[in-house]
Amino acid sequence: MAESNHIPEDVRQAVEGVRPAADIRLVAFSDLAPDGNFGEQFLALADDRLLVFSSDGERPALLKDLPFADVSKVEIETLVGGAALRAVVDGRREDLISFSHAMSDAFGRVRIQLDALIEGKPLPEVDERATRCATCGLFLGEYTRVCPRCLRKGATLRRLLGLTKPYTGRMVLIGSLMVGSIVAGMVPPFLTMLLVDRVLTLGTNYHLVIWLVLGLASAGLAHTGMEIWRNRIAAWLGARISFDIRAQLYERLQWLSMRYYDHHPTGTIISRLTQDANGIQDLLAFALPFLVVNVVTIVAVSVVLLAMNWKLALIAMVPLPILFILVRKLWRLLRRAFHNWWYRMRRFHGLVSDALGRVKVTKAFSQQQSEIGRYQFRNDDLRAAGVYADATAGTFFPLMWLIIGSGSLLVWYFGSMLHMYGGITLGMIVAFLAYLAMVQHPLEFLGHSTQWITRALTAAERVFEVLDAESESEQSRGEVELEEIDGEVEYRNVGFGYEKHQQVLKDISFKVKPGQMLGLVGKSGVGKSTIINLLCRFYDADEGEIFVDGVPLRDVSLWSYRGKLGVVLQEPFLFSGTVAENIAYAKPEATPEDIMAAAKIANAHDFIISKPDGYDEQVGERGNRLSGGEKQRVCIARAILHDPALLILDEATASVDLETEQQIQEAIGRLIEGRTTFAIAHRLSTLRNAHKLLVLDEGRIVESGTHDELRAKKGVYAKLLDIHRRTSMVGAIDG
Amino acid sequence: MDKRQGVQEASSLELRYLDPEEVRVWRGEDGRVYCTIADELTVLTPMFMRSHPLSDLERYLSVRGVEPKERSVAMGKEFGLLRNWHRLDPHSHAIVEAELERRYLYAKVFAILSVRDYSGVQVCEFDTDRGLRQVTLRDVRDNVIYLGRSRVLVTDAEGNRYDIEDVNELDPDSLLRLARIL
Ligand SMILES: Nc1ncnc2c1ncn2[C@@H]1O[C@H](COP(=O)(O)OP(=O)(O)OP(=O)(O)O)[C@@H](O)[C@H]1O
Ligand SMILES: [Mg+2]
Repeated sequence: MAESNHIPEDVRQAVEGVRPAADIRLVAFSDLAPDGNFGEQFLALADDRLLVFSSDGERPALLKDLPFADVSKVEIETLVGGAALRAVVDGRREDLISFSHAMSDAFGRVRIQLDALIEGKPLPEVDERATRCATCGLFLGEYTRVCPRCLRKGATLRRLLGLTKPYTGRMVLIGSLMVGSIVAGMVPPFLTMLLVDRVLTLGTNYHLVIWLVLGLASAGLAHTGMEIWRNRIAAWLGARISFDIRAQLYERLQWLSMRYYDHHPTGTIISRLTQDANGIQDLLAFALPFLVVNVVTIVAVSVVLLAMNWKLALIAMVPLPILFILVRKLWRLLRRAFHNWWYRMRRFHGLVSDALGRVKVTKAFSQQQSEIGRYQFRNDDLRAAGVYADATAGTFFPLMWLIIGSGSLLVWYFGSMLHMYGGITLGMIVAFLAYLAMVQHPLEFLGHSTQWITRALTAAERVFEVLDAESESEQSRGEVELEEIDGEVEYRNVGFGYEKHQQVLKDISFKVKPGQMLGLVGKSGVGKSTIINLLCRFYDADEGEIFVDGVPLRDVSLWSYRGKLGVVLQEPFLFSGTVAENIAYAKPEATPEDIMAAAKIANAHDFIISKPDGYDEQVGERGNRLSGGEKQRVCIARAILHDPALLILDEATASVDLETEQQIQEAIGRLIEGRTTFAIAHRLSTLRNAHKLLVLDEGRIVESGTHDELRAKKGVYAKLLDIHRRTSMVGAIDG
Repeated sequence: MDKRQGVQEASSLELRYLDPEEVRVWRGEDGRVYCTIADELTVLTPMFMRSHPLSDLERYLSVRGVEPKERSVAMGKEFGLLRNWHRLDPHSHAIVEAELERRYLYAKVFAILSVRDYSGVQVCEFDTDRGLRQVTLRDVRDNVIYLGRSRVLVTDAEGNRYDIEDVNELDPDSLLRLARIL
């Protein structure tokens, strides 16, 4: 077998030690030792034996050896913090090998492959979604190919600077202003020196004073003027760039796959749009220019000092590196105190926003007192941390200035000595001190700028991570444009799991003819909505294939396809805006009459009219000013207006009363004529018109047929019907 | 037959608490684990699950499994809860302990040896009761559970759990690194 070329030598040796000259068909490595510690063991399928070896010791030791022919099935048992691959032998489960979640994907594939072999199929090619960095092996997840570890900070910086490209002119201006203001800043100490040496010390040349003072004034004005100008441009530029970034980010977010959203809580994503984008603005508008200014200032001042008197300059500069290190150390201390405080602040925020979110529940269970107690505890915590941080800061800054200022003591001492021997003028000492003062701020800044800049770079990288995340359309190169959909849908041996190690759907096969209605029935959590998620292509199937009009869904262009779907999801989703806007979401060009016609069919018209603002009624955030049933009807109206070729109704009528439901039923009955419809309902009466019902259990189809056929069969469906009859909800069905 | 009736009804509406005296866990000739309840019912492939795996490790152990006649119930059904499984006979106790060890794979963190930051992703080295481990953390803030004042549970990018039982017990260097992570 071709693959055996990739099998490591030690594995081959281990296997051949047990079964000489075996054909090794499959190997998989676990990251756990048999005792559950981190270590290694591996599973191999050699000829017709399943072998498990521990490879922790000197040489691999055989742990398990089963005949593969006896295995009727392979499953993955999800443990807490890991999972185990088990074989079913004689209806009993035999543990093969356990592994941490890091290996779940790999073993998910192994399970699919082994199951295929058991069923006598050839070893399937399971496409391996690369989840690790090809260079360093870091776990990346499924939605990005950019490895943060292999990414150099320099590269990020370069990319960031790339963002300023459209504004090159302004950047050049900023640079020139920077140089100009530094030069202007260097002039005053020089003039002071002249004033002291040529005028004050000599006691003559008083006619020069006016010119020197005028010089000082214009240098100061020029310096300040250029600073202001530069800051204003920088502010504009920063805001502009963060605007660009937010726009790009937002556009990207629309195209990211559902899997991305499953793994990134909305809060995190929002903070990328706001905080991280601001972080970048900070960096480009303030931190970077500041850094450049400060470095240039330090260099320029050093050059001037060396030119004036290199001996004194060296003496003055010797302690600078030491000061620099000391300041850095102190900063670290301060940072720790503030970290602590921020951390408590975050928890406090969390507590408050949680508490506000559950106000209703709190009141309903009259738990105000305990809420207050919880709050006080956190508040206290926060206060203590705040006191500590501020006290530390209060100590830190005076100390830091003392340390930084100590450099000038050396100048006073050695300068005076040199002056005594005539090596230096009084004016020079004064200028020296002034120049030294000019670098104190920059030095202090450099002491903590690395932190600031790293933080901003991190923000930038987080933003780039989203921008680089693969969008749906990149993941699927579907090219077939479906102009018109007849609505024939076929699932062929479809298997799927949100997480690789937890299969939700197993071997789903069925076919729906155009215009038919398919009902999905089953207990909560069996995977009904999941079947629909696959049809909408929110996710791609792991195994098998779905066909629409005979075209594999993978090859269909997402854009053209989704436009033909009409979906009423289980959680009715409304956005804040008016009722009319919500109904017209997928068809903004709809006329008011279209909208009302759709609402009428969805039996929503009357309730909408009875609202004070009618169709202009604001539905509130997530539609929370409407009742559950009202929301659903608005969603149905939306689907009706969209006039889809494929209609998907997931519990569309779950929260309406029986009478309304019957009306909606009729509406749906009219709506589904001539379109393929997938409907999920717990109330079986809703599905009585379905051409075909699929009964699911544990992710499999256990029964299928029409209502009457299934009832006659006296199986799972009949049992469900029975339960419904007893709770007197069906009535009409039996009729 | 009465007792057996009782055993079966447990799954309907009421929780059934098992008397540790009437539960026997044993390893069969075939090396597999079995669990016998009240000398009446033998559970195949029993599973022992903690009902509060984070907050209370010791109490309320759910005994689940498959009855001999039904063969393939994925999660199994609950046969009952053990309020205190430490009162099982020593032999059973040892097997249950091993089973729990097998199921709950989280690692207790003793020390954080290093942290490296790569733009929102942190690569750390943890010293745990199960050995050294390089751990990749992503979006840490969303993946940390605080329990009480000083216990922290961290979930890494791959879904593995790490348990820091008492933050204050960590050495100062580890603590500083933890602060950096969080
Ligand atoms: N985004 C997700 N990530 C991980 N697991 C999920 C996700 N969505 C659903 N699941 C899990 O997949 C399984 C099937 O869920 P599904 O939503 O298909 O159930 P359902 O049949 O629609 O149930 P109900 O009748 O309650 O709506 C459940 O165990 C659920 O916990
Ligand atoms: Mg559902």
